[in-house]
Amino acid sequence: MWKYDTRKIKEKLFLIAVAALTILAVFPLFHIVFTVFYEGIGTIMATGPTFITGTLGEGGIGPAIVGTLMLTLLSSIIGIPIALAVGIYAYEYPNSRIGKITTTLLQIMLEFPTILVGLFVMQLIVIPTGSYSVIAGALALAIIMMPYVAVYTAESMSQIPFTFREAAFGLGVNRAKSVFMIIAPIAKRGILTGLLISTAKVAGETAPLLFTAGGLYQSYPHSLTEPVGSISLLIYTLVQSPSAADHQMAWGAALVLMVIFLTVFIPIRMSLKEVKL
Amino acid sequence: MKIRKPDLFQIITYPAVIIVFAIFISMLITFLIRSLPAFDMYGFNLYAKNVWIATENPDNEKYGILAAIWGSIYTSVIAVGIALPLSVGYSIFVIDYAPKKVKNLLIILSDVMAGLPTIIYGVWAVFFLVPALKDNIMTPLYDTFSFIPLFSQPSISGFSIMSAGTLLGIMVTPFASAIIRESYQMIPFKYKEAAFSLGLTRYETAKLLFGYIKPAVYSGMILAFGRAIGETVAVSLVVGNAFNLTANMLAPGYTISSLIANQFGNAFIYGHMTSVLYASGLFLFVIGLAVNLLGIYMLRRWRKNVEI
Repeated sequence: MWKYDTRKIKEKLFLIAVAALTILAVFPLFHIVFTVFYEGIGTIMATGPTFITGTLGEGGIGPAIVGTLMLTLLSSIIGIPIALAVGIYAYEYPNSRIGKITTTLLQIMLEFPTILVGLFVMQLIVIPTGSYSVIAGALALAIIMMPYVAVYTAESMSQIPFTFREAAFGLGVNRAKSVFMIIAPIAKRGILTGLLISTAKVAGETAPLLFTAGGLYQSYPHSLTEPVGSISLLIYTLVQSPSAADHQMAWGAALVLMVIFLTVFIPIRMSLKEVKL
Repeated sequence: MKIRKPDLFQIITYPAVIIVFAIFISMLITFLIRSLPAFDMYGFNLYAKNVWIATENPDNEKYGILAAIWGSIYTSVIAVGIALPLSVGYSIFVIDYAPKKVKNLLIILSDVMAGLPTIIYGVWAVFFLVPALKDNIMTPLYDTFSFIPLFSQPSISGFSIMSAGTLLGIMVTPFASAIIRESYQMIPFKYKEAAFSLGLTRYETAKLLFGYIKPAVYSGMILAFGRAIGETVAVSLVVGNAFNLTANMLAPGYTISSLIANQFGNAFIYGHMTSVLYASGLFLFVIGLAVNLLGIYMLRRWRKNVEI
């Protein structure tokens, strides 16, 4: 029976190994959440509510928070309508030549280095207008957001049984109506989830904003054509500063960003089974 | 021939599809056109030499980004090396061993990690990961193995290729895990059943089944590599930003994306630097495109095989 025993031992070792690897894979998340919380809460406590509402001079990150909200909102306004239409197209033509190319293009854009989008928008908008602006930053984010929204839309619509379409056609409904008024509303939940996850994702982006948004922390933004800051961009700047006070600030800002991300992401994530990354 | 009147569906969706294609193509064209002056000036040496001389006089400027290309590949390879065992172990545990509740929790955790803003990884790495790696890994490695070229020089600050690679490994693991986990789950149950009915243990079954999903694992690694090579802010904070062309992973290095992030802001002061950075971006563009196309294609082909 000796042979049988080695197999059993191997089996046990295997379990230990995969369990250890799993713990190792997710452990950084706990460490990050804990560290950011621990370091960040100290900063926020020390400054008080000013940290959320004040400008950088007053020891707060108010303009950055407003900037992130403005950028996220405007990028959604630009990106979502286009992305929904593209997603619906990809759903409608999964097997045609252009449909296939569109799906591949969307997947490539999902993986695309985001800094390159920033450089592109800089060339497109910042150089001609001569200034960093909310519009430029939002456009860069919109380009990054589109493929996510489109892929989610196409996937959640393709999960609706084809019988609904047959029923619609049977009643003499045309294609546009059957897709926009029947299938899309049934898939509403999945599409909305995609929208929210994509929004949460771009709200934390940094690289595409480096050369498009510019940064503004000493006063609140008041115009779409002027530079704007964002929480992520502010953290990036603060971390590179040599001063320890700036580092503390960075932790506080990181906590704010993390809380925003987790409060949007976790409830959505809990409410569905699978997500596309 | 009569031209068919487009229906409402086409009127709504076609322009959007055209916009997306137009964005992608104009991006490629922008990078091509903006890189031309750099190619004129330096030719292929731009990618084949390691020099970075930025001076006020444009005639004396010399650029070659080989060190950044090397750093990008080096850090991404380290990242994939870390992500491979972690994501394979994770996938097997989640699918084969974990009870339902633990399984769901682990999947959610992994998804949160994949979506977490990269700048948060960056802050954490600068203030925790890099010092921890320096004290516990890099210094002992140098002390013991300095005769190996990989560890031939002590790390002074901790900001190094190894730090960047490790951070990238942590960041791409959830992404690679999602691909491998989904593929592992797609294996028809009959194969597992057959393996168990032969009396194989779970270890032997997993070993057998991983032979079956090997192409999916490869494409997961390729896509993870693509993701790692394009990551910018977190890497630029920890890689050290020095033009080093060295096998020593304890030394600071550069990556293409962190080169762009660091230099682009003041590149306009110099005559040729902007164009050189667009050319670096073009390189990243092409590599990213090639790697992702390969990964997507392999994954798709494998999935089609399974579904039949």
